[in-house]
Amino acid sequence: MDKYLDARFERVEKALAILIDSIAKFNPSEKLADDLATADRQLSKSLQELERHQNNHARIQQLRADTAALDAQTKDTISALWGMRKEVKNTATTTYPPTGPKYGFTTAELLNYARRISRNTLPPPGITNGVDMNTTSSFVASAASPFSGGGVKEELPSQDAQTPNANASFNNGNTPAPTTAPTPTANGQPANNASFASNATELPAHLKPYVNPTEGGIFLPWPTEDTIRSGALASYQQLVNNGINPKGYDPEEEEKRKAEEELARKEAEEQARLEREAQEKRVREERERLARERERARQEEARRGNTVGGVSGSPTTGGDMQKKKQFTFLGGDDDDDEDDE
Amino acid sequence: MATDPMSVDSSAMEPPAPPTNATDEPKYGGFTRFEIELEFVQSLANPQYLNHLASRKLLTNPAFIAYLDYLHYWSRPPYLKYLTYPGPTLKSLELLQQEKFRQEIISPDLVQALIMEGMRAGVEWHRDG
Repeated sequence: MDKYLDARFERVEKALAILIDSIAKFNPSEKLADDLATADRQLSKSLQELERHQNNHARIQQLRADTAALDAQTKDTISALWGMRKEVKNTATTTYPPTGPKYGFTTAELLNYARRISRNTLPPPGITNGVDMNTTSSFVASAASPFSGGGVKEELPSQDAQTPNANASFNNGNTPAPTTAPTPTANGQPANNASFASNATELPAHLKPYVNPTEGGIFLPWPTEDTIRSGALASYQQLVNNGINPKGYDPEEEEKRKAEEELARKEAEEQARLEREAQEKRVREERERLARERERARQEEARRGNTVGGVSGSPTTGGDMQKKKQFTFLGGDDDDDEDDE
Repeated sequence: MATDPMSVDSSAMEPPAPPTNATDEPKYGGFTRFEIELEFVQSLANPQYLNHLASRKLLTNPAFIAYLDYLHYWSRPPYLKYLTYPGPTLKSLELLQQEKFRQEIISPDLVQALIMEGMRAGVEWHRDG
């Protein structure tokens, strides 16, 4: 650029010098003046170019500075990042205790379980255990407010000091020991009567359960004493108390065994009875047969006695024969005498 | 309820097998070990029952404490899903591991407080849900 400019300057100077020379020799020439003018115009053009060049140069300088600045910023950022990362890595983190093993389950299992336990985890509708479900107030506060106990909101005008207490006594009567327990006298009949008389919309205490079955009901999220007392452990204890070793003892099996024994015993009895009857029948038949034989023998003898007539000759035999004859005539008593013989 | 003599060195037993259709399991008074232990561990959810156990001096018996520790298998599958009072049962199991709780459950005040707390929690947990 410098050379370029220098050449132009030189040309202008030369043209000027030639012109001055020509003027000095008093021989001015128009051509020389034109040369000078052309040289001057070219110089001006060059100067403009120079200006643009300078501007561009300045711009380049500025851009370089910008680049450098941005480079520096990038470097700073990266180094800050690096430092940060190092710091993060070196930070002593709180180590939480392990949250325990995780177990997989399916949605169906979860829903089944929820259905199964809902009976014991969700109170029946209307049972609030004395907690006022309509506000976010705490249990103590709701126990203190007289008309929120039994799950029904009753709109009652405020009364004198004694009557709200009476209401509290039968609204919260079954919730064990509210912190602001009414005085024992508030439970009494006169107080309730007073409340009934003074406010016609309030039912007397003894009618409330008929209107609202959940009146005073409570919900316990654990097995009640009755449940425990009627459960397997109780029957186990019962066995122990009866001196039976429960191990390997099964009342159902036992019951079954007893029933079988009973059945077997009955069968045996039946069998014995049948046998006895058969025996008796045999004995009776035998006896009848003997009786018939004796009868036949006696008749035979009698016939022989009639035909032979006192052959034996002994008086006892004769008397006996007579007696027998006599009995033969009497007929009906015959058997008895046979037995006697 | 169990009044069997318990000794500390009674061998640690494996938890009973979860119920199957097998019928040849040994029975204790007509119930399987699984049934009896399930009922017992759920009874522990009842503060009054805990108080009853404390009044029988069972909660200071090392063997009984070891048994309570053994009952922790109810907090794991496959047994967990048989608990029908899961919340109070597991809470009681945890509380019973603390010596202080075992000593103080004899107090009627604590029993009463636990009952009130349980009744309130029983109806409040689903209030906003």
